[in-house]
Amino acid sequence: MTDLTLDRTLAPLRRQRQWKLPPVGASLAILFLSALLLAALAPGLFTRIDPLAIVPRDAFQPPSWAHWLGTDQSGRDIFARIIHGARQSLLIGVAATAIAMAIAITLGLLSGLGGARVDRALGWLLEVLFAFPSLVLALLFVAVFGSGVGPLIVATGLGGAPGYARMVRGQVLAVRNAGYIEAARALGHPTSRIVLRQLLPNAMRPLLVTLTMGVGQAIVWASALSFLGLGARPPAPEWGTMLSMGRDFIANAWWLTFFPGLFIVLTTLATTVTGRYLQQRLEGRLP
Amino acid sequence: MSTTTPAVIDPRRERLVALGRRAAIRLGGGVLVLWAVATLTFFALRLMPGDPVLAILGGPSANPTPEAIEAARVEFGLDKPLAVQYLFYLGRLLQGDLGVSYSQHLPVTRVLVEQGGATLELTIAALALAWLLVLLLTVVTAGRGRVVGGIASLAETLSAALPHFWLGVVLLAVFAFGLRWFPPAGSDSVASLVLPAFSLAIPLAGFIAQVTRESLELTLEQPFVLTARTRGLSDLAVRFRHALRHALLPGVSLSGWAIGALISGAVVCEVIFSRKGIGRQLYQAVQAQDMPLVIGISLVVAAGYVLANILVDLLYQWIDPRQQEAAA
Amino acid sequence: MNSPILPLIPLCAALALLGCEKAEQHSAQSTTPQQGGTLVYATDREPTCLDPHVAGDMPQVFVAQQYLDSLVSMDSQGQIGPWLATRWEVSPDGLRYTFHLRRDVHFTDGTPFNAEAVKANLDHMANPKTQSSTAGGYIRQYRATKVIDPYTAEVTLATPYAAFLEVLAQGFLGIQSPTALLRSRDQNCESPVGSGPFKVVRWDRQNQVELVRNPDYNWAPPTAQHQGPAYVERIVWKFIQEPSVRFASLQAGEVDVIEALPPESHEAARRNPDVDLIIAQPPGNPTNGTFNLRRAPFDDTRVREAFVRSADVEGALKSVYFGEFPRAGGPLSMATPFYSGDFEHSQDYDPARAAKLLDEAGWTGRDSEGYRTRNGQRLRAVVLIGARTPPSELTLWEQVQATTRQAGLELVLDQMSDAQVTARQAAWDYDIRIGYWNTNTPDVLRIIFTSAFVQPAGVGGYHQNSSGYADPGYDALLDSALATQDAEQRRQHYFKAQQQAAAHYLQLTTYPQSTRLGIYKTAHGVRLEPSLAVTYLYDAWVNK
Repeated sequence: MTDLTLDRTLAPLRRQRQWKLPPVGASLAILFLSALLLAALAPGLFTRIDPLAIVPRDAFQPPSWAHWLGTDQSGRDIFARIIHGARQSLLIGVAATAIAMAIAITLGLLSGLGGARVDRALGWLLEVLFAFPSLVLALLFVAVFGSGVGPLIVATGLGGAPGYARMVRGQVLAVRNAGYIEAARALGHPTSRIVLRQLLPNAMRPLLVTLTMGVGQAIVWASALSFLGLGARPPAPEWGTMLSMGRDFIANAWWLTFFPGLFIVLTTLATTVTGRYLQQRLEGRLP
Repeated sequence: MSTTTPAVIDPRRERLVALGRRAAIRLGGGVLVLWAVATLTFFALRLMPGDPVLAILGGPSANPTPEAIEAARVEFGLDKPLAVQYLFYLGRLLQGDLGVSYSQHLPVTRVLVEQGGATLELTIAALALAWLLVLLLTVVTAGRGRVVGGIASLAETLSAALPHFWLGVVLLAVFAFGLRWFPPAGSDSVASLVLPAFSLAIPLAGFIAQVTRESLELTLEQPFVLTARTRGLSDLAVRFRHALRHALLPGVSLSGWAIGALISGAVVCEVIFSRKGIGRQLYQAVQAQDMPLVIGISLVVAAGYVLANILVDLLYQWIDPRQQEAAA
Repeated sequence: MNSPILPLIPLCAALALLGCEKAEQHSAQSTTPQQGGTLVYATDREPTCLDPHVAGDMPQVFVAQQYLDSLVSMDSQGQIGPWLATRWEVSPDGLRYTFHLRRDVHFTDGTPFNAEAVKANLDHMANPKTQSSTAGGYIRQYRATKVIDPYTAEVTLATPYAAFLEVLAQGFLGIQSPTALLRSRDQNCESPVGSGPFKVVRWDRQNQVELVRNPDYNWAPPTAQHQGPAYVERIVWKFIQEPSVRFASLQAGEVDVIEALPPESHEAARRNPDVDLIIAQPPGNPTNGTFNLRRAPFDDTRVREAFVRSADVEGALKSVYFGEFPRAGGPLSMATPFYSGDFEHSQDYDPARAAKLLDEAGWTGRDSEGYRTRNGQRLRAVVLIGARTPPSELTLWEQVQATTRQAGLELVLDQMSDAQVTARQAAWDYDIRIGYWNTNTPDVLRIIFTSAFVQPAGVGGYHQNSSGYADPGYDALLDSALATQDAEQRRQHYFKAQQQAAAHYLQLTTYPQSTRLGIYKTAHGVRLEPSLAVTYLYDAWVNK
């Protein structure tokens, strides 16, 4: 897919003329994300119950006043686990996206600025990575380096990197011949300064939206891997792990699986809506 | 001597030739990619901790004798140095021999053939279903005003946000365990294909619909559409026959990516719905450290994905000849 | 959601069903068996090979029981009876077994059954190329078979082995056609040939195995309920890994019988009038956590007993397994021959005693987190959890962890891949190792607790004796149990063996292994064969 194709694909997304995001939706989304962030930083504000406390006689309680979202097979409170899991999930989402971005920026800059040969070589490398659907790549990675939160973050990041790299490259190519870059060069500024101060910020700004949605996507990916048992191992309160643990009991105790999944959906929804809203605001600023 | 007038260039033929050349280049690149994939997976799996011999001999519940272990080691060539194993491996790959699966004691090609059909079925069904949902939703609701557009957009965003593993479990619980409309497991009947296909199709439809609907709305504002309307065509005819072809382009290019997403999704869906397939096989093979099978499946998946992307790319070129000049 | 949401199961009602002996069957009405039809059977694990001589795990023996016969049979009392062998003599020194064989048996490929077939089979199991872990492991003492005449075979052993007849009754050592055995191992894995009531038609990987009736079958064991060909025309042996899906398939009537009925579904199964249950314990060593005696803290018997006493396994079993799994207290499951019930309560929860023992052993200090210490060292134990450990097992050990914590003992649940578990086990780098051993002989105590099995079994380093217990007296006790054919002497020896194993607290036994079948109203006559509590479909029929 050439850059022009990419451009044409993204173009409709940029010109949302007839469809305006209602502010209500965006506010709700931002509110939810803020609450989530708060829960990640200070879970004690939302719940006092220990997410790892085992109380066998309270196992499989349906949602009630004592346990808002019910309890699991060891009597642990599900709401408490979801709140504490927010930290895990957000951490994984943000870290994975950061890793993906770091790789993407490196590759994208090299590709966009390094000349035709470097561009082709890196393009070929990206093709190789692209040839693996993300889950297959993640499976291989986890197979080699073992399961756990660390490999999970790297695996998810690796899965997202090629996509971002292509976008960064496209943006770099689009921006590098812009007027202000020429001006900076004419003024004799060193290349590194131009790249850091002018090129990168302007190239990355449209990608801010993608990044926001990317965090949501990363959380889903990480949950999928944990769901398969390749990420955070039980009894970690990670949402995907909780979903997997509850799967056997879906006929008896549906709340074990339903609520962690609901939170994943809401988080993804919130990041998408927020991302779109940001994009709208940014569009207003772009010339 | 024949007078050669400048030949009338047949644009169609030119397009085909250019297309063919492009296809050849892409295929060549594809082969290189596959080589890299094979190398990557080979070394990745060699780095895995643990002794593959024990995986061969039946895993944790077996109690192998020393002679059995030694015999297995020799039989599978695990006693040779790494570089030698790699060269042997490449040699066999070129002959189409993907080796023998450690955990199933079957040639890998046979496993792929037996299991691949079910995954292909699921992927195609999911893609077809997704497009069906997309077309129904977008064609009917595009450009009909803010409220309708808003609701449709909400439905799309919500669908795209649903993780397929959660959706699969919920669908299973409601429609298979609860209402008993569909069988909870199996790979044989059409009925057993419905729930897995839906759990993959709905999120995908959400993604594609978002892009397609906006593209369609833009297209509906184009002058040629107005022309068609003034010619007296019905609204539906205008939408389907004229506007859609142009609006499909972003969706088509997304479909290339979609196939990759579907294959990844198939891994999880095959586990949840107890279906045959190479997705579940890959997952089990990774757990069992069954190297030939992991490499075989990865190669096939990569090959399929590369091929699908080439096809999508060519399709895009064919539909929209404007691309070709830009690509040069 | 239409499915009923279950409240927590009344534990007393469930407990009333615990401790039941061998089999528990709800309705026992017998209507006349109908000929023909297809029986659909769903199990959770797919075997790696249909020939049970190769490797040898439970999924293999379950399916092989339908198409292979054994040399001898074993009834529910543990008595050995005839099957393919009509009678036998054992030499006074216990080294030679002379089997007199049936003359009317032939395999489904036409090959006649005779002494040559017996020789071919035993040689096959003992051959390293077969890579037979279980069957080959059980006949380590095997030296050779001599064909005296076409229907008399004399088997020679290297040392006396009183358990020989017992292991011969297991499906793992089922008799296959010698013609078929000549094929490659992989071919034989694909479509083994036996003389049993059914024969293998096709193995559709990851999906099912198709079996069809053997019309010539006329040599059923005395433990069967009829003679002649089987009633059912076809068996579809399906693999459905997900427990909830498997149970839902049963409730919908999509499958006739399921195995490994999930504990969380027992209540629903009992309340469903269309579903019957069969639950039985196979003989052997129950599921347990074996202590590593070779290093601290479990080199001290008092600490081992304290750990056992401080672990509330009963409470954990009630919640994790819905009260469906009883507590196993002794080293042998109650279905094992020469089992003694005197040791069932040797592991009862007793935190006061645990505290006393730990004080005696010198773990009197306490650190900041409340764990006991001795000379500054924290009282800590590591248990290995593999990737394929079922989640319920993990939950069980989490609850054990919570209760031992109250006694001041830190239990660390170390999760890793199965390959790493094997590596750690080989290196003796663990404090507790989870395991079990299904076999129809109390000789299992020799395999798991004597010094002969402390050495690595092979290059991989795996050793059957995970405890490291090496007491010459115990070795001698179990060897003498093998040396005599007298049942009363064997009973006394094995009583002492169980007593010693229990007194030394070599394992934390949690729950017995069990075969749990759910049977839909369309299927009748489904039974468990007595030697290993394996599904036996020979007497089954369907009416659909």
